[in-house]
Amino acid sequence: MTGLNGDREAVEKLVDAALASLEANRVRIDDLNVYPVPDGDTGTNLTMTVRAVADAIDHTSAASRHSLARDVARGALMGARGNSGVIFSQIIRGAADVLGETDEPVIDAQATARALRGASDAAYRAVRRPVEGTMLSVIRELAEEAEARAPEEPSLTQLLVDLVRRGEDALARTPDQLQILKDAGVVDAGGAGLVELVRGVAAAVSGEPLPAPAPIEEHLSHDAIHQELSKYRYCTVFLIEGKDLDRDELERELEQLGDSLLVVGDENAIKVHIHTDDPGAALSIGTRAGTIDRIEIANMHEQTLDREARLLSIVPDAPPAQSGVVAVVAGDGNRKLFESLAAQVGPISIVEGGQTMNPSTADLLRAVQSLDAEEAIILPNNSNIVLAAEHAAVNADRIVEVVAATSIPAGLAAMVSFDGSRDAAENAAEMREAIEAVVTGEVTLASRDVQLNGVAIVKGEWLGLADGDPVAGGVDFGDVSYAVVERLLAEPRELLTLLVGSDGADLDPLLARIATAHPALEVDVQQGGQAHYALLLGAE
Amino acid sequence: METGHALSSPLGRITISGEAIARIVGETARECYGVVGMAGRKWLPDRATRGIEIGGNGDGVTIDLHVVVEYGLNLAEVASTIRNRVGYEVERLTGLSVQTIEVHIEDVKRSG
Repeated sequence: MTGLNGDREAVEKLVDAALASLEANRVRIDDLNVYPVPDGDTGTNLTMTVRAVADAIDHTSAASRHSLARDVARGALMGARGNSGVIFSQIIRGAADVLGETDEPVIDAQATARALRGASDAAYRAVRRPVEGTMLSVIRELAEEAEARAPEEPSLTQLLVDLVRRGEDALARTPDQLQILKDAGVVDAGGAGLVELVRGVAAAVSGEPLPAPAPIEEHLSHDAIHQELSKYRYCTVFLIEGKDLDRDELERELEQLGDSLLVVGDENAIKVHIHTDDPGAALSIGTRAGTIDRIEIANMHEQTLDREARLLSIVPDAPPAQSGVVAVVAGDGNRKLFESLAAQVGPISIVEGGQTMNPSTADLLRAVQSLDAEEAIILPNNSNIVLAAEHAAVNADRIVEVVAATSIPAGLAAMVSFDGSRDAAENAAEMREAIEAVVTGEVTLASRDVQLNGVAIVKGEWLGLADGDPVAGGVDFGDVSYAVVERLLAEPRELLTLLVGSDGADLDPLLARIATAHPALEVDVQQGGQAHYALLLGAE
Repeated sequence: METGHALSSPLGRITISGEAIARIVGETARECYGVVGMAGRKWLPDRATRGIEIGGNGDGVTIDLHVVVEYGLNLAEVASTIRNRVGYEVERLTGLSVQTIEVHIEDVKRSG
């Protein structure tokens, strides 16, 4: 029957076919990747791992099936990339251990079943707590299928047809086994890779051409797409060769530059992997230690952004929310606070404005109409804007509720209760309740002379207001602010929020006084960035 | 005053204890491919957090894990996966930023 060389050629043909099948589906598999970390590289990692196996077969001098199996397993081990690559290397090792021991000239259905069993057992052995709905469940089901079919002595071609079908079936069930896949609306990426490998092998054995790769899934959800970007931009990999290389020293120097650092090797050759914003600095550290080689630098942000753009283009727009918010806000910091409170909850449209810059009814109307929501809530956040908001509500093309918050801290308190999946009336009721629970204050420079409890505040001095009424005045910012705080804390409160104005007033003396007088009070200082008001306060 | 890690939000602070973080790390590490056990620091009384040290300051959480890995796997890749996955899960579940994750492979074991 086939000689040793023929054995190697047969294996080479199978691996090449598996690799071709995987490469054809690489991008699609990358896009499926949400577990264990959604970094969109499963297809690429698996492809590189299989390529390493193909290289190992190219270079092997193995003279027996036993040593060929050993070289293949070693190629997979050394070339393993990423989590899926590591699992794959273990699958290969389990199968190679079985096939390397057999002297039968032809690998038939029974031998395949034993090999898959060995692969599955080896794969499961290497993890403390196996997670179902991954490559593991797919390889296990492949082994079960082969064992169930083998007694009928099917041809290898027929067995592989059955295995592809069972693999697809197991893959389709992964979202039922692993919640994160279901949430993202995808099947497991590693499992998908394994199915493509088997499909490639099946095509090579039967002599049929590879079927065209499946198109990119149409029903990917937004959750599968919105990846968080890695903190650093460039994935940088290189090899340092030299004499007496000091691994620890290199690690110490490199770890200043980024994360995901790996420094592996010996005193003659060290492989470096790092995520950094400055690949040049990493390479310089390498050239100081020795000569560098095999440099790979990938822009991870670009990879992720490409993937997002590719996927978003095929995702249908999300249905509009039940309700959204139009908020009148002054100050960049405050705008961000409003936006972050709306994030993940519902749409928001910010209209720039406040005490000295009241937006018109038309401005508010425009903002309402621009919302991707059935209904709207307007937060005027200033008593002078409530009327314009009410006019806008009457004239809008949809149901609009005005929640008459008269300050930014009150508006923020209301935002906490907002939920875009409820209608405007329900939201308005809860948001009004939230406003009831908060008292607010302001510290500003008096724009005119005012009478306060018989004391005249002179234009240009500090003026403190609590719930709209003047409560303190004077030349010292700390004293006036503290008087406002005391008024807000007349009833017991748990949290005091301070929004610092664009002038960036020095709050340290004030905070020290508050900490002494009210040690149990939580104080949260945020940069509001609003003009005119050095400080906005809210207590709840 | 408190030993935990704090997150500030517009509504006030949220503190998360080192032990809570360690539990998340432990749960996650056991599911990482290649990890067949946790090792080291036996004086830590709790099994769920064995081999895990949590530290850090205002700049983020630092995590040290001591693990036993299956013999015959690519250790660099296994360590890299543990690092990625633990960092991802801790940031996802706590909202805290993770500053460093040190993975110490204390032993390799041939199981089964």
